Amino acid sequence: MAHLLTERKPYLLLLILLTLNLGLMSSRIKSASERSLLEEGILGLGSPFLKAAGWIGQAVSGTWHAYVGLRGVERENRRLRERIDALALQAHEAEEARQELGRLRELLDLRAGVPFESVPARVMARGVDGSARVLTLDRGGREGVRINHPVITPRGVVGRIIEAATAASKVQTILDPNAGVAGLIQRTRIQGMIVGDGDRGCRMEYVSELANVEVGDVVVTSGLDQIYPKGYTLGVVAAIGEGEGLTKIVEIRPEVDFRRLEEVLVLLKPEGPPERSAP
Amino acid sequence: MRVIRGLLALGTAALAQALLSRYVPVAARFCDLFTIMVVYYGLTCPPSAAMAMGTGAGLVEDSLVGSILGMNGFKKTLIGYLVGTIGSLFMLNQAIPRFGILFAATVFDPLAEWGLSVAMGRSFAFPGTLPLLERGLGNGVLGLLFFWVASRLP
Repeated sequence: MAHLLTERKPYLLLLILLTLNLGLMSSRIKSASERSLLEEGILGLGSPFLKAAGWIGQAVSGTWHAYVGLRGVERENRRLRERIDALALQAHEAEEARQELGRLRELLDLRAGVPFESVPARVMARGVDGSARVLTLDRGGREGVRINHPVITPRGVVGRIIEAATAASKVQTILDPNAGVAGLIQRTRIQGMIVGDGDRGCRMEYVSELANVEVGDVVVTSGLDQIYPKGYTLGVVAAIGEGEGLTKIVEIRPEVDFRRLEEVLVLLKPEGPPERSAP
Repeated sequence: MRVIRGLLALGTAALAQALLSRYVPVAARFCDLFTIMVVYYGLTCPPSAAMAMGTGAGLVEDSLVGSILGMNGFKKTLIGYLVGTIGSLFMLNQAIPRFGILFAATVFDPLAEWGLSVAMGRSFAFPGTLPLLERGLGNGVLGLLFFWVASRLP
């Protein structure tokens, strides 16, 4: 518009523009309710800016709120993750405690069922080579634990005490090749000597070739060794092989899982084992 | 090209003023971007361009604020004419004179409205001395910033 107007006539232009504005003012004051097309056009000039301002404001506000919300979500997410970690730990501890409670209950039931004084003990360590031939318990002479005291679990026989310090003791498990337990086949009452066979389990030796033994038969202690009370489970027959001469070798899979053993019961057995009622 | 730039500047000022009034009303009390625009044109363009910008800016302001149509157009046209005339007579390319012109134009605005209202027999609520001085100060500072930015535009 500036190009259309001559620069040499500013007064004239001023007059025209002021008159235009005055005309608009007077017409507006004169008829407040009716608007001319020119007035409508001029008044319409502002609406795009107002709409644009509203749109920009909403967009900025929306973006800002989304950003703030996102930051909030991130913070909340981090907090919840930490909470989940803490709860997972608690759940893990609770599960551990639940399992331990179950094991201890079984041990307690077993303790109530044995005709001897007994001491519950925790397995502190296994053999240096990681095998379960020797276990270390957290109970010792102070609690009355002595050498040759049998160690059992609700599942069966673990072994016997071979060393008893004041606050700890060592158990020779029935897996140890030097361990021997007098046992019998529960079904047929056939007796034999059960010796350890390392991680493979145990085996019953000196069983007559004619003896009635089948895979799956339960093997229990016979009490003849004067160490283990009679009637406690040793394992089940896993396989039967030929032995020397007229004997056969019975392979036994122990009932106790020695690799996962955590709590045991030490029987403070007096001299001369009383018999336990057969299971 | 100059007309297009003028229209663009006017549109930007209108948008910025609308945004300020809507979302930062406190800041909008201290600045009148239309007056700054008219003073800028008055000091950098011929008086006719300043007057045209004054009328345009005033009418857009009227449509934005909902005042009597032509009121701001009249005031801004007068401001454009006066600033353009003064700008053509004196060298006003330093910060302090420009600040003075911006301040004076801001103060002149309500005075002109007061005069028009009296002439038309309408009541007018004068904004008060302190708010007027604050507005003059705000317009002066913002106007100088605008001059500085505009001088760096291609």
